[in-house]
This record gives sequence, structure tokens and C-alpha cells, in this order.
Amino acid sequence: MSEKAYEVAHLDELDRFPVDDEGLLWRPVRRRLGITAFGMNAYTAEKGDERVVEEHQEKDGHDELYFVASGRATFVLGEEEIDAPAGTFVHAEPGTKRGAVATEPNTTVIAIGAKPGVPHEVSKWEEIFVAFGHYRKGDEAAAREHLTKFVAENDGEWQGHYNLACLEALTKNREGAIAELKRAIELDPQAKEYAANDEDFDWLRDNPEFPA
Amino acid sequence: MSGSAHISDLTFEFVNGSAWAMVRSHFDVKSFGVNAYVAAEPGTEVIGEHDELGADAGKHEEVYFVSSGHTTFTVNGDEIDAPMGTFVFVRDPAAKRKAVAHEAGTTVLIVGGKPGEAFTPSVWERQAPALMFFSKGDYEQAAEQYEQLLADAPENAVFLYNLACAQSHLGRKREALDHLREAIEKRPELCAGAVKDPDFDGVRDDPEFSAITGQVGSAGTGS
Repeated sequence: MSEKAYEVAHLDELDRFPVDDEGLLWRPVRRRLGITAFGMNAYTAEKGDERVVEEHQEKDGHDELYFVASGRATFVLGEEEIDAPAGTFVHAEPGTKRGAVATEPNTTVIAIGAKPGVPHEVSKWEEIFVAFGHYRKGDEAAAREHLTKFVAENDGEWQGHYNLACLEALTKNREGAIAELKRAIELDPQAKEYAANDEDFDWLRDNPEFPA
Repeated sequence: MSGSAHISDLTFEFVNGSAWAMVRSHFDVKSFGVNAYVAAEPGTEVIGEHDELGADAGKHEEVYFVSSGHTTFTVNGDEIDAPMGTFVFVRDPAAKRKAVAHEAGTTVLIVGGKPGEAFTPSVWERQAPALMFFSKGDYEQAAEQYEQLLADAPENAVFLYNLACAQSHLGRKREALDHLREAIEKRPELCAGAVKDPDFDGVRDDPEFSAITGQVGSAGTGS
């Protein structure tokens, strides 16, 4: 069967996955529509006075453009602070520090990104964010099912096993957490360094089997 | 460059009161195309009917986002009600698509790129600065821009046509008629627009203009 020529979705119909415990919601656009040439997501702060773009630097070289679709936000771009009402674009080149805090309820920011000079590759991290989105919404079963499927499809990559270890640790499954963390470290020793400072594993550190 | 701008600061009048915001070129975004269109009044085609297969098009998959107002999209004959907040993603570059605004000021963002390839601006988008000079009535700068574009794309009929428009405004009749003839020879469908295009008022009374627009193929007989 051939793919449909087009897809339609309204902002209100997009999934709402909590990204943190402070109310930031990730609203996957690329994933919902099936876009492949660039990344596109929306972020919503429902109450106002909450983070709507995490502060980061896009170390992987993505060129990013943000558009304030509704509400109002204060962006940080490098050393500059920008008042951004609805209709504002903010462009951040790779390596430039950026982040935004909503200053009105129901502020939504659309983020578009891709790496210049190379074909776009869909980030596998989206599926990990979806899994933890389910977890933060209280649906452990959906989170585990999603992440287990992701790991099965990407068995040779440490990140999947590491994140599954985190999920197992958060849900107090000691054996599962330790097994997945061991597998992640086997695949890449940097997983051990991450685990050493990851509070998800704090309750496991005294276990003699804990590998980090 | 990193920076910020409100959409109202990026728009310039494009055609019949509608406005175009040159977002990508303003910020020098290098990894995807992004622009916005603003409808002047209800009933305006805020996205003109097109596909992404033309010689000037980027063969892009495109996302349209209705950031204000209300539109009806038509994609391959299907009508889609698209109020503010609607995303319409057209993955098939062959799909015919357009959008008609229901309200004045309706704004649609377009983001595009070609799957599997690094982004490069389409030939069509490269004329944005020239069109901006046109909208300001600076025909000297517009002509200069089109001459530069034609140095890289000498066969581009739209660039030739628009250069002819600028030269008509500047009173350079000979050059305007030569470029118009060349444009119509390369793309005969431009003829119908030229007949009614006020940009050619400066050469309309010239018998050669009638020959070019009335009898494609025998142009030049009036000179």
C-alpha cells in the first residue's frame, strides 16, 4: 500500500508527554505526521511561569528555529534575554546556549531542527522520550512495552539498554535494572560514568551486583 | 546567525496586498526551508496552487502550519478545514496543494526539505530579495538581483520575466522586450500573465509587445 500524500493534525490533537516534573509537555509533531526531512516538535507550558524550552546547546550540530505559536515566553539566547510574544521566531545556531520560560498560561513553542550540510536522520531518542513520557503519565506498562521494543530493534546500542535500566530502577525492579545496566556498560563503558551520577540508581548503589 | 524577530517585522507586501515573510533567508537557516505567507483579505489564496516538481521547486516534503486565522486547504482535490493551530503535511512532492484564507491576516508557515538530501535553497526561493526590492519599488536593485540570479540560472524563465518587468519600470524598453520574449519562448504559459501585467505598462504600446504576447514564435517582427 502506498503512503498517503498528506497528513493533517491540530495542535490540540498532539500527544502530551511530560518531559520533567515541572510541567513541560513534549508534543511530537514529526513523529505524528511522519516528517523525514527535518525534526519538528511542539512544547507546551500549560500554567505559565514554567520552562517551555530546556536550556541546552545542541552539541550535535543542529540548526534550530523556534516559533512561539501561542502565549508568551522569555528566551535566553547566548547572553541575551528576549521577550517573545506569539508570532516570534528565535533562531539558534549550533553551540549557542538557548532556553525559554513561559510567561503566560498555555504557551506553545514549535521547534524545528536539522543538521546543515547532511541529510536529516530521524533521532532515535524520540522513542526513548515517548517511553519516559508514558512513565511520567503513570503508565508503567506502556513505558516498558515501548522501551523493550526499542531495545529489541536497537540491541547493539547502549543507550536503549541504559534507559531501560533507568526505567527498571525507577520501578524498583532490581534484577532488571542491574542486567540492563551491565549490558549497556558491555556495549560502551561510558554508560558506567553516566550511571555513577544518575540518581535513578541511588537506591541500588549498595547492592554488590551494581556495576557502576 | 542566531537572533530573533517577530513575524510582523519580516513580512513585506508580495502581491495584491498579501505579504511574505522571508524567514529562512533572514536568519540564514541552512538546514531546512522556512517562510510564511499572510493573506490580505478573505478569499485570498494564501498558498497558491502548486506542486513541488517544477523546475524551480525543491521537490520538498512540506509542513504548513496555520499560525493565525483560518484556511481551507485543498490537497489532490481533498478539502481540509484548517483553523489556527492546524498542521498540514504534504509528503508527496507531486501532490497539488493550495490554501484559501477565510480571514484577513491569516498566516501560514511553510517548512520544507528534501528527504535523504542535505538542504539547499530552491531556485525559486533565491529570488526572495529581488521580490522584496520589487515590493518597495526599487526596480534598479530588483533588476540587479535578477541579473545575478540569471548568471547562475540563465534558462530560468521566471527570472527572465521578472527582469523584464523591472526593466519595463526603468524605461529600458529594448532590454525588457528582449527578456520578455526569451521568457515566453522558454515558458509559453507566461504569456497570458504578461498581457495583463501592469509591470509592462511601460512597453505595452510598443508593437513588439503585441507581437511577443500575441504570436509566440514570431516575436521580434515589430522591430
